[in-house]
Amino acid sequence: MATGEEKPVMVVGMDESEQSTYALEWTLDRFFAPYAPNFPFKLFIVHAKPNAVSAVGLAGPGAAEVLPYVDTDLKHIAARVIEMAKGICQSKSVDGAMFEVFEGDARSILCDVVDKHHASLLVVGSHGYGAIKRAVLGSVSDYCAHHAHCSVMIVKKPKIKH
Amino acid sequence: METYVDAIGVDTEATTTTETTAKQNKKKLKVMVAMDESKNSFYALEWAVEHLRDVISAEPETDQAGGLLTLVHVHPTYLQYIYPSGGTASAMYAIDSVPESMKKAREESTTKLFTRSLEICRGKLMKTETMILEGDPKEMICQAVEQTHVDLLVVGSRGLGMIKRAFLGSVSDYCAQHAKCPILIVRPPRETSTSSSTKEHKSK
Repeated sequence: MATGEEKPVMVVGMDESEQSTYALEWTLDRFFAPYAPNFPFKLFIVHAKPNAVSAVGLAGPGAAEVLPYVDTDLKHIAARVIEMAKGICQSKSVDGAMFEVFEGDARSILCDVVDKHHASLLVVGSHGYGAIKRAVLGSVSDYCAHHAHCSVMIVKKPKIKH
Repeated sequence: METYVDAIGVDTEATTTTETTAKQNKKKLKVMVAMDESKNSFYALEWAVEHLRDVISAEPETDQAGGLLTLVHVHPTYLQYIYPSGGTASAMYAIDSVPESMKKAREESTTKLFTRSLEICRGKLMKTETMILEGDPKEMICQAVEQTHVDLLVVGSRGLGMIKRAFLGSVSDYCAQHAKCPILIVRPPRETSTSSSTKEHKSK
C-alpha cells in the first residue's frame, strides 16, 4: 500500500442533492475512515456551481434583473455544499481533503478536474433517473462514465422498494 | 450470543455492541468483478485488485476478517444464433443438439479465463470465488448483484463488442444504470488501444 508521497488521487463530485451526500458518506466509510491516518487515496471534493445565466435558462425581459439574485443564491448553495462536505469529513475523522468549487457545467468540470489532478478515480452519486428523465435532464454520472479519463465509481442511494 | 468461526478462522460476529459499530465501519467489502475474455476485463481486475486490495483483504494483525471477491463470467446463450426462426418446439429441439464441441470449447475458454484471473488475485489475502452464469450478460450481472448483495460491482469500460466510437460498452452502460449497488467502471490507460482505425480518437 502506498504511503508517503505518491498516493493515488480520488475526486468526488458533489452537488446539493442527498444522493451526493450519500455517495460521499459511503465512500468515506468504505475507503477512508477505517484507515486513518493513512488514507489510501488523496481526496479532492469538487462542487460545480452552475452558471447563473445557464441556470435561468431562456431569458425573458426581466432576466437581467433576476441574474444577480440567482447568482447570490447559487453562491450560497455552493458554500452550503462545501460546508456539508467538510462536516461529513470531520465526522468521519477524515482530514487532508481538498475542497474546490468551479463554475460551469458539472460534466466538463469533473472531467477537467480529473485531468488536472491526474486522478485515478472519480466518484459521483446518481440521481437514478429513468430513461426519459435522462434524455431531458441529462446525466452527469453517465457523461462522466463515458468521458472521464480515469475509472469512475457511481454510488447509488438504494431505493426503498415496497 | 453464539459465536462462530468463519473460513479463515477469525471470530466475526462475536463482538459486544460497543465494538460492532467500529467493526462495521471496518467491514471489508464484497466486490464482484464482471469478466469476459477481453483485455479490458483483465485490466479491470488488475486495477481492482491493486486499488481495492485494502478494502477487501483480511488483516491478520488486527484480526479483521476479509471481504469477498467474486469473479463472474456470463456465457451468452447461443440458441438464438443457431435457430433464429425457432418457436418453442424447435427451441426445445435446439437444446439437445447444441454441439458438444461448442460446449467443450466454451468450458475450455472459461477455465482459461478463470485461471488467468485467479493468477491475478493470488497472494493478495483476498477470499476469491468464481461464478459462471448463462444468459444475457447485462441482465445476469445485475441479477447476480441483487442476489448476492455485493457492496460494489467492478466492470471494464469496454468488452468484447468493440464498437469503435463507443467509449463505454453496452454491458457496462446497462449495469451503470440498472445495477442496484455502486458500480466502478475501470478505464484502461490511454496508451493501450486495441482498435485499429480511430477517427477522432478521444483517448479513453
